[in-house]
Amino acid sequence: MADLSKVGTEYPPIVWEVERGKIRELAKAIGDFNPIYLDREAAVKAGYKDTPAPPTFLTVPMMWCGKMPDFINDLKINFMMVLHGEEEYEYYREIYPGDVITGTPKITKMEEKTSKSGSKMDMITLEVLYTNQLGEEVAKARSLLVERK
Amino acid sequence: MIQGKYFEDVNVGDTVIEMEKGPLQKLQLVMYAGASGDFNPLHTDDDFAKAVGMKDGVIAHGMFVMGCVGQAVTSWVPKNRLKRLGVRFAGMSKPGNTITISGVVTDKRVVDGENIVTCSVVAKDEQGDVKVSGSFDAALPGKA
Repeated sequence: MADLSKVGTEYPPIVWEVERGKIRELAKAIGDFNPIYLDREAAVKAGYKDTPAPPTFLTVPMMWCGKMPDFINDLKINFMMVLHGEEEYEYYREIYPGDVITGTPKITKMEEKTSKSGSKMDMITLEVLYTNQLGEEVAKARSLLVERK
Repeated sequence: MIQGKYFEDVNVGDTVIEMEKGPLQKLQLVMYAGASGDFNPLHTDDDFAKAVGMKDGVIAHGMFVMGCVGQAVTSWVPKNRLKRLGVRFAGMSKPGNTITISGVVTDKRVVDGENIVTCSVVAKDEQGDVKVSGSFDAALPGKA
């Protein structure tokens, strides 16, 4: 069961160099063949500096950084009982190939809730505000993890 | 479906997104695992999935379905006009499912000189079961 006293914890930053190929790979895996993700010229024609990262791209640094199991262990969450309840992104600036983005994961909320059926769950909110190599804020990711008890 | 992309042409209650994706293939989940870095075998290994109680085998990554929602949203509003996208994962998607994503305008307002529309968005399978529900905000151009 999650250690609710961990609210406010910050973890070491995720630093991620954005690659053109990764943007294309994610778009293709989703089956999104919008040329702005696949072809620099098409992106420039559509008003972008380069091929922009798709809306759900920030899952890539979060999953590939490999730190999620560390967070889950540190929060004393039972890995077998955890579900991804919600995901939300706020977009401030485009993320482009060559950008180096940095985000500090922070536990912003932890609470116990009771479902309609009476079972108890811990709800854990993880926020990551990403900035680019110029120090500009590019996006915020918010994940809600649900641990069934 | 309303195709208008100017703020003035969009009204609360308009259906602005309707996209069908599928049927979902296991190969896509393998591709998505590699692309996203989420290698939980629940999404790629039928034996593992069955051992943890999924009688039909693997299920899709929730984030894959959110990715499909992102695709549907940016088929209506350009990527660089999307301000926020948030979803709740409501149900499991399986290979063979055809996912229909629809979006309806729920609010429009001017904030700091920007024309903001908020839309609800939902992804359902061919049985009408909800997989993902959520909302997004976008800044639309005005005619003036």
